Amino acid sequence: MNILEQFSLKGKNALITCPEYLYGREIALGLSSAGAAVYLAGPDEAALEEISKVLEEAGVPAAGRYAYVPGTEEASVALAEAVKRDMSSLDILVENSTGMRLKGWSHSYEEIYKILEFTQLGVMMTVQKLGEIMASQAHGSVLLISDYAALAGCDPQNYVSCQDYASEDFSLEYGYVKGSFVNYARQAAGYLGSAGCRCNCIAYGPLAGSKPEAFEEAFIRHSHLKRLASPEDVAAAAVFFASDASRFITGTTLAVDGGYTAK
Amino acid sequence: MNTFDLFSLKGKTALITGGRAMYGKGATCALADAGADIFLASHSLKPAQEFAEELKAEKGVNVEALSFELGDVDSIRAMIQTVLDKAGRIDVFVNSSRIIPQGDGGNGWFEDARQMEEGVRVNSAASLYMTSLVGEQMIRQGSGSIVTFGSMMGLIGVEQHNYDGNPAMAEGAFGHIYALDKSGLTAWVRHAASYYGQYGVRINAVCPGGLKSDRTNPVFEKEYSKHTQLGRLANGDDIKGIIAFLASDASAYLTGLSIPVDGGYTCI
Repeated sequence: MNILEQFSLKGKNALITCPEYLYGREIALGLSSAGAAVYLAGPDEAALEEISKVLEEAGVPAAGRYAYVPGTEEASVALAEAVKRDMSSLDILVENSTGMRLKGWSHSYEEIYKILEFTQLGVMMTVQKLGEIMASQAHGSVLLISDYAALAGCDPQNYVSCQDYASEDFSLEYGYVKGSFVNYARQAAGYLGSAGCRCNCIAYGPLAGSKPEAFEEAFIRHSHLKRLASPEDVAAAAVFFASDASRFITGTTLAVDGGYTAK
Repeated sequence: MNTFDLFSLKGKTALITGGRAMYGKGATCALADAGADIFLASHSLKPAQEFAEELKAEKGVNVEALSFELGDVDSIRAMIQTVLDKAGRIDVFVNSSRIIPQGDGGNGWFEDARQMEEGVRVNSAASLYMTSLVGEQMIRQGSGSIVTFGSMMGLIGVEQHNYDGNPAMAEGAFGHIYALDKSGLTAWVRHAASYYGQYGVRINAVCPGGLKSDRTNPVFEKEYSKHTQLGRLANGDDIKGIIAFLASDASAYLTGLSIPVDGGYTCI
């Protein structure tokens, strides 16, 4: 097969959870433009509507939408049932439900649990239930969306000119949640691998324009490629992992961060 | 200062949770050998008290057993307050407590929702909360060392070959909760280190490999040992050195690390 054709997602069905969180929109657009039928699932109907509009305007309308609040067995079972009902196969799962975080370090136990329920419980149940669909098909690619917090702690030097943002970015649980994906991808790859399915993680650097200017300047100063991520950078990595071009890659984490963590 | 003296914990107050059995027991012994005043917080008070008495008699150190439940936030707060009421400070915090979530029979990849919920509620949320409370005290002091138990399973995936001939163990190997929690911890210590560093507080994780016990399956031991570079499972003493090192000023310039203590299992 022509190498470029291996990147094509034509005829494949992709499901993205919580596409309204960071990187979800870019990934949805990327997978759609590579030919996948993209389904959106998340708790916020208005946000799904908005992403649908973005896809429609780009000429690649979403194939479907599901109301989905991650964190309970009922919700993940219902989502799996809907997927089985609507799709001939689930080829790509983009797990993007961990975009929320607590701001700062000191929180009540209740606050900590509430966010971990949505993120950690949500991830396990989504991957377990939808992974089973893939296992029964004997093919499929799971992408766990993380960011550079999975690979490095926050550098206080990046916040020297934006102290307010530091108190937000030093989040008690965010590094734990995003970091957990790196090795969870390896563990899930073990089970899914025996069924012919793959699981990988992508650790994105910040999207240009998504952070305070002073932070972005400092971050770029500590990066090798001297710029922040573009929407195309985000989309291309997701398309690669979703496609057959990466068919022998599983259990890995790809840093798409301009080399920020490569030092 | 003499290098050897850097390892001493004399005059320091150490709090260890879950320090009564398995790796935690070795960790408590290490703190005692190094001379720390120890608070041993456990969900099983009576055996913890017996262990404390043994240590006091054998090693001549102060050890006090305290009762607490990792799954009960009020008891976490009360336990930490008791330590502060008695000692006024916490110089060393070793977190080796975790629960094994009980569910309705799911195993490995098929762990059920109740197990997952309990794992996140206790091993994830309560542990982060407890560490942040101890961290607040260390920030007030302007010093302290936190050592948290990660795992080899927070660094790598499962080698299925280790379970050859053990289908029941193989089925249980692909659990979600342990993998996600321990994986998160290894990354989290970097974040915690970058937060606590400015206050003079250090945090590191030890990531042990498999520990030999009376119940270890001999076939598993043989297969597993082949994948270590030292050719064996860990024994109860193997954790002691790293705990004493990370707890003490001998590791004053180390923070944010996840250190495998696994006989070289993760190096290949």
